[in-house]
Amino acid sequence: MNKILRWLVLAIIVITALAPILPQFVWSFSHRWLFPSLLPSQWSTEPWEYVFTATSRVGEGFFNSLAIAVVVSLLSILVGLPASRALALHNFRGKSAIEWLLMVPIIVPGIVATMGIHQVFIRLGLTDTFIGVCLVHLIPCIPYMVLVMSSVFANYGTELEDTARTLGAGTFSVWRFVTLPGILPGLLVATMFTFLISWGQYITTVLIGGGTIITLPMVLFPFISGTNYPNAAAISLVFVAPAILVLIFTSRQLGRESSVMGGFGRL
Amino acid sequence: MTSVVLRDLTRRFENVTAVDRLNLEINSGELVAFLGPSGCGKTTTLRMITGLLLPSSGDVLFDDRSIVTVPTEKRGAVMVFQKHLLFPTISVGQNVGFGLRMQKVEKKEMDRRVSEMLELVKLPGFENRRAHQLSGGQQQRVALARALVVHPKVLLLDEPLANLDANLRLEMRELIRHIQRELGITTVFVTHDQEEAVMLADRIALMFDGVLQQYDVPQAFYQQPSSVRVAHFFRNDNLLGGTRRGDQVETALGVLQIDAARQRILDGAVLVTVRPEDVNLTPNPEAGNCVEAKVLLQVYMGTHTQVQLDVAGHTWLVHGTADFQARVGDPIRIQLPQPRIWLLPVS
Amino acid sequence: MRWLSLMEKLRAPLMILPAVATIILLFFGGLLVGLGQSLGYFPAIDSYDLTLQYYAEVLSDNIFFESLWQTFRLALLSTVMSSVLAIALALVLRQTFKGSRFFTFMFQLSIPIPHLVAAAGIVLLVSQSGILARGAYALGLIDAPRDFPVMVFDRPGTAIQLTYLWKEVPFIGVVVLAVLQGIGPQYEEVARTLGANSWQRFRFVLLPLIMPGVLSTSIIVFAYVFASYEIPLLLGVRHPTTLPVLAFQNYQDPDLSLRPQAMAMSIILTLIAIVLLVAYKRLANYAVSR
Repeated sequence: MNKILRWLVLAIIVITALAPILPQFVWSFSHRWLFPSLLPSQWSTEPWEYVFTATSRVGEGFFNSLAIAVVVSLLSILVGLPASRALALHNFRGKSAIEWLLMVPIIVPGIVATMGIHQVFIRLGLTDTFIGVCLVHLIPCIPYMVLVMSSVFANYGTELEDTARTLGAGTFSVWRFVTLPGILPGLLVATMFTFLISWGQYITTVLIGGGTIITLPMVLFPFISGTNYPNAAAISLVFVAPAILVLIFTSRQLGRESSVMGGFGRL
Repeated sequence: MTSVVLRDLTRRFENVTAVDRLNLEINSGELVAFLGPSGCGKTTTLRMITGLLLPSSGDVLFDDRSIVTVPTEKRGAVMVFQKHLLFPTISVGQNVGFGLRMQKVEKKEMDRRVSEMLELVKLPGFENRRAHQLSGGQQQRVALARALVVHPKVLLLDEPLANLDANLRLEMRELIRHIQRELGITTVFVTHDQEEAVMLADRIALMFDGVLQQYDVPQAFYQQPSSVRVAHFFRNDNLLGGTRRGDQVETALGVLQIDAARQRILDGAVLVTVRPEDVNLTPNPEAGNCVEAKVLLQVYMGTHTQVQLDVAGHTWLVHGTADFQARVGDPIRIQLPQPRIWLLPVS
Repeated sequence: MRWLSLMEKLRAPLMILPAVATIILLFFGGLLVGLGQSLGYFPAIDSYDLTLQYYAEVLSDNIFFESLWQTFRLALLSTVMSSVLAIALALVLRQTFKGSRFFTFMFQLSIPIPHLVAAAGIVLLVSQSGILARGAYALGLIDAPRDFPVMVFDRPGTAIQLTYLWKEVPFIGVVVLAVLQGIGPQYEEVARTLGANSWQRFRFVLLPLIMPGVLSTSIIVFAYVFASYEIPLLLGVRHPTTLPVLAFQNYQDPDLSLRPQAMAMSIILTLIAIVLLVAYKRLANYAVSR
């Protein structure tokens, strides 16, 4: 009985996971697909051809999104990693206040901040620029980096590093051969988060990028709202592909290591 | 007060048999230790008694009634683990009262029994503390109180002292012994420490590789081990081959007299053993049962001297007095006292 | 020597400084500018006098309250349903069984998928001419698209909620799963030998242990949904829309004088979110500790 119920639940998980994605494959190859046919009456590769034309700006959007997500992730690591380590392994005055401060952007809606930053960036000339978009994406990314990595650092501790140091390893060697391999699974997950958060940003990019910096969601949006489903589906799939790739690399860590995701419990 | 019977109890995992046709009777109110090296199946057996693990075959009986089909939560077999496993989100008092709350015992009655139990484990007034505020020994005592408060039919302790330091362990052993006597709860205690088993248990069940080797009172494991392995586990490796004929054993070093009535092995090939502390290193010249040996090594141990001897090609350990002196390589005459000789089967 | 100990003291602050500075400058700086503008400090249109006029304007508008209610309802329902479903599914997935890695992967599948793509997928699925409607027609359940229940651009926001559910259940679930894995089976085993049945083991052992994780993630989800823009814009009714949509529409209006109003609206939205989150955390903690 219990077993049947479990398999039923598992079947539902698989079906619901795929249901919004798989039809998009079919849509992306359809020309005419009217109600009530279960498959397109006319197949076509037009949507995909469209995706690869310059006028669609899909390519431009893709590479902009990718470049922004990579830069944002690197900046998040650069800024977030030392902070995570300090929060996890050092004790200092005002630590819990700092912890809270760094978490605020993901538990308080960022709408006011985004609008406010927009005003400031206009004055600083950062609107319509690549770096301006990167900066605004950093706001939700840093908290995730710190959340995941401080838990990872706390769990990893310093004993192994101390051991390595007593064995004569220098600062760089300790980092390279002891710390980095130890935190890498966690870092992978944290970077996945920052990458995907930046990858999926819409309104912040619209506002700060001002239509000059075109990213994938901005290319996709009008096709969905304009109900041009074949093109929307094809662009969606372009949009999804890197994300799924990222998940394949990190799924194991997401599922197993409790210290990686466990950080969310201490918020 | 409940008696426990294990009948042909067997548990297989994939292709490993963790427990193999175990037969055992535990009397009501008895404290039995399951002893053996890690991986010998003692914890598996314990889990089958609690019902956390189903046996592959065989039966578990409480008071002569099979309880294999009774779910864990209705068995009344309460387990205390190696880790204290106190619920971290609730207070010590709520932890102790957990089982009573599950039975929907009335609040007043619950508080009374909780404070009574905390007193019994010598933690009176600790109700409002949190588990993490207590020391390791205190945590384990709370875990014990949590188990005892529901008046279990059987109390199962899975190496509850393994995480404690030596002094605390001694203290806890006495506490467990004291409480167990006072409440008269049938108790099974899993340990890999033979000293602990000997100190605590009424009877010891020694297991190797999922098979019960010997089930007896503690003294028997010293004086009458059932096999070479059992003797070895109780730190006796003194062996000498021979052939039994009635009340004599012929060995390479001559004929030894034995107490025939005490032995369990019939005439034929046997192994002679005498515990390290029973070998006489300084016999009278006219004493019987003496053999020639050679001193290999001696180590001063404070309370005694540990002497390593070569006895007909076997290495023996013998405890001499603290002031025992001999030179390495010297021949020595030792006596194997007749009442102390025990015959083991040749494996 | 003194220099070394000074270094030791400054180490942690120096490590935190970049992150803290970034967040303060960007987030809190933005917040401050927004707050100023909502109070009438807006140099771009030569307005410097502080006033509560814009708040008054916002609060006297019925549309604002309708949108607020819609926003709140959507966020609350999505959060509660996601949390409950996530806990239930995590409890199933934590068991080890053949293929559990595959199923865990499938469960996580929607985590990396952008909300916009999810929204497109849900529309293709549940609109009146979507896959489900076609399936219903093939089975003879409906005769025409209009017989299929309206789930897109509907007032209850069915498609919006489905999109959030599809995205957030795995997010909360993965955290719960990780916490469950950290807990291990032994607490439940202890509870079991102490006489707790399966409901009691869930209620008195597991739930209190996973609650912090559920609480934090559901707060993140609530804050996200409460302030999100593109999903309600794509899948929701024009009227009442949600507050973030309303605020951004005002904000992006060519008429700059609407901006302070948009800011006031967003500030109110933020304050309400904070109040709700604090209340939620209190309530959940209280409910579990009982």
